[in-house]
Amino acid sequence: MKSISRRALTLYLLIFVFLAGSVLTYYRLAVNADKWAMNKANRHLYTDGGLATAGDITDRNGNVLVSTVNGVRTYSNDVSVRKATLQTVGDGAGYIAGGIQTSFKDELTGYTILDGIFNLKRYGKGNDVATTLDSDICKAAYSAMNGQDGVVGVMNYKTGEIICIVSTPTYDPLNKPAEEKEGMYLNKFFKGLYTPGSTFKIITLASAIDNMPNLENMTFECKGKNGKGQIQIGEGYVFCSGVHGNIKIEKAFNQSCNCAFASLADALGKDKLTATAEKLGFNTQMNKINGKISRSSSIIKLDGSSALDVGWAGIGQYTTLVNPCHLLTVVSAIANGGTAVEPYLVSKITTPSGKTLYTSKTNNSTEYFSPTTAQKLQKYMRSNVENNYGDYRFSGLTMCGKTGTAEISDSEDAKPNALFAGFSSNPDYPFAIIVVVENSTYSIKTAVPVASKVMAAVKKAYS
Amino acid sequence: MKQKGKNVNLAIMLAVITLFQLICAFTLIEKGESKNRLNIIITFAGYIAAEYLYFIGSRLFLGRRSFEVELIAFLLTSIGLSVTASVYPSLAVKQLVAALLGIAGFVVLQIILRDIDFCMRMRYPAAFLAFALLAFTLVFAKFTNGAKNWIYIGGLSIQPSEIVKVLFIFVGAATLEKLQSNKSLTKYLIFALGCIGTLFLMYDFGTALIFFFTFLVISFMRSGDVRTLILVCAAALMGGVLILRFKPYVASRFEAFGHVWDYFDSSGYQQTRVMIYSASGGLFGVGLGNGKLRNIFAATEDLIFGVICEEFGWIMAAAILLSYGALLVYSIKHSRYARSSFYAICACAASALMLFQASLNVFGVNDILPMTGVTLPFVSRGGSSIISCWMLLAFIKAVDRGTYRYGGVRQ
Repeated sequence: MKSISRRALTLYLLIFVFLAGSVLTYYRLAVNADKWAMNKANRHLYTDGGLATAGDITDRNGNVLVSTVNGVRTYSNDVSVRKATLQTVGDGAGYIAGGIQTSFKDELTGYTILDGIFNLKRYGKGNDVATTLDSDICKAAYSAMNGQDGVVGVMNYKTGEIICIVSTPTYDPLNKPAEEKEGMYLNKFFKGLYTPGSTFKIITLASAIDNMPNLENMTFECKGKNGKGQIQIGEGYVFCSGVHGNIKIEKAFNQSCNCAFASLADALGKDKLTATAEKLGFNTQMNKINGKISRSSSIIKLDGSSALDVGWAGIGQYTTLVNPCHLLTVVSAIANGGTAVEPYLVSKITTPSGKTLYTSKTNNSTEYFSPTTAQKLQKYMRSNVENNYGDYRFSGLTMCGKTGTAEISDSEDAKPNALFAGFSSNPDYPFAIIVVVENSTYSIKTAVPVASKVMAAVKKAYS
Repeated sequence: MKQKGKNVNLAIMLAVITLFQLICAFTLIEKGESKNRLNIIITFAGYIAAEYLYFIGSRLFLGRRSFEVELIAFLLTSIGLSVTASVYPSLAVKQLVAALLGIAGFVVLQIILRDIDFCMRMRYPAAFLAFALLAFTLVFAKFTNGAKNWIYIGGLSIQPSEIVKVLFIFVGAATLEKLQSNKSLTKYLIFALGCIGTLFLMYDFGTALIFFFTFLVISFMRSGDVRTLILVCAAALMGGVLILRFKPYVASRFEAFGHVWDYFDSSGYQQTRVMIYSASGGLFGVGLGNGKLRNIFAATEDLIFGVICEEFGWIMAAAILLSYGALLVYSIKHSRYARSSFYAICACAASALMLFQASLNVFGVNDILPMTGVTLPFVSRGGSSIISCWMLLAFIKAVDRGTYRYGGVRQ
């Protein structure tokens, strides 16, 4: 009997192994619960592969962008609003990776480890997500793009609220086209990377202001023939769209003289130019929007580049790439006296019982430019609009800005991308804007008119 | 004083369990279709009546004092019964009848086990019966879900291997006097090999594994001969490897193991759904009847742990897991004071069997072990399984000296 009971004690080992297995089961459950519960096979949340039961997503004025009505995910009843906000709101099926419906699945379904999806069962909906978007401005931007592919983004440069994102091509989630267009699932505002073209001259100029005390007295040469200027940098030439002759910095910025900025970049050298760009967030992993939505990083890589390459980089060609949201943050920092605010899209999350789970805060901690540099850049960008683009396009906004026409191919037939980055320096309308029109012509003909229409809508909405 | 305390414990525990069962019943009545109401009322009324009959009868007429194991079994059975009544209201009464038969078997087996001499005499007939049942199954069963383990008699489907579990432990333990002799172990080894081999031929690998594990526990308890057991394990392992090597379709049944998410819509379908819906339940569950895992094949049998995680929540599921551990702890503790090593071996083997089977079930659906399609003791739907579990419980009950204190025990 003694030996039997002694042997029986050995069986505690079995219990130990069993408990270890149970702990492992629960550990894996707790760690992966969120991912597993959000799986598309979960019939609590999805029907036919689409999110069915979840909370509302609203714009800043309380307009519902998407909600669940009788177990069906229902979008805005305005087709333009649906198309304009699609990439930001996201589709239920998760084709659009950075959409709120995908990134905020947990919040929208009200999932917590404690209650599982019980709240969803109890209330028939999850938590509501209030965004900073203004669906009217989005709609205006979508209509201003007039079928062209590209991006429009508008943010409040004092608070960081993103009030408009439009990424095209888009589609109507209620009437999805059979044929897929390239980029229709992409939110180009967050994920896109574009050759910046002359918009990069803002950064070259910032570097020059910081590094060249004599900048305003310098004269640049832009000479050539047949209406095209050129300048020799290192082993080759950088070409200009015009022949500007001898030109000072402000004029060169107004006229977007490539010769002047390529020689500035050459004089600065790749280290200083890279240092300025990196201070502004180039080559850095950007914070996720609201901690959830990831975005691409702008890139400048000049290691081992020739002087000529650096010259081209200084005018936003060569291998430089910018993300629209990032470029918008850079011009917002100029508008905001040098301090960059963190852009955000979700302002508030509330439970079905009315409890606030999350409120966003303005976070302006990063100094991109010194106050004096920001002030000078403001002056030059203001001068661009006053002397070149025309204040009539932005009446009452005291607009500042810079255009860019980015060559994206060496081919003669290739159409450039047109960009505009700017902001209203009128304190009543503290908004900055980025516009990219793909496969376009000169930006003054395409991107600037889009910016003009969108800013007019902003001005109207916030008067 | 101590005994008075235990009575209070019984009353409180019984009240808690009854409350739980009533809540389940009312939830089902309120949410279910009205045509199922009668079924649900009969099921729960019948079950609760049997429960009280058992406790009051044992307390008043048998003078029993401790009821830990029955409380656990009654609670687990009622959880399973609630899920069955919720998913298949029309099968609830059938499951109740099986549970009542199981409880009757539990009582009868306790009476049989009281007479150790009788048990010793019955070990050859029992061994013969066990083998005959398995051989009969092997010959007459048709393949159901890849295994040949079901017999159909007049509309009833029976899984004889479940009943053989009881006989297997009975036979194994009933050789106590020749303790620590390797010769007596040889006979048992041959018997066990016969049973396990037959199960293999039925492709019922889960049950074969349970039998093998139980064989190891019993052999160890009887002989303490770890060396021989290691040898046996090594031989079994080699046998297993050979089978997987030469019968690739056996291996293909376990292809999804370890990466079920890669077999999301094929052989990992059930496991991934268990994980998805277990996660949906959270600590407190979405409530009985509100789950979605119930729509997946074998939800009330193989996947019932997932259904409980989803609908009753992770805490209740953890309590169920701990129950199996508690039964083994109970057996180990009472082995010390057992009247006979027969009882000690029976109890430890029965509770280890259930713990092992629960492991195969729970860890199988959670992809920690390969999924072998065995039931969760007391909880899974299935008549043979529930009867078998209750009868195994008689072995655990028998190890407690208090069980036979008042009618005298033949020594």
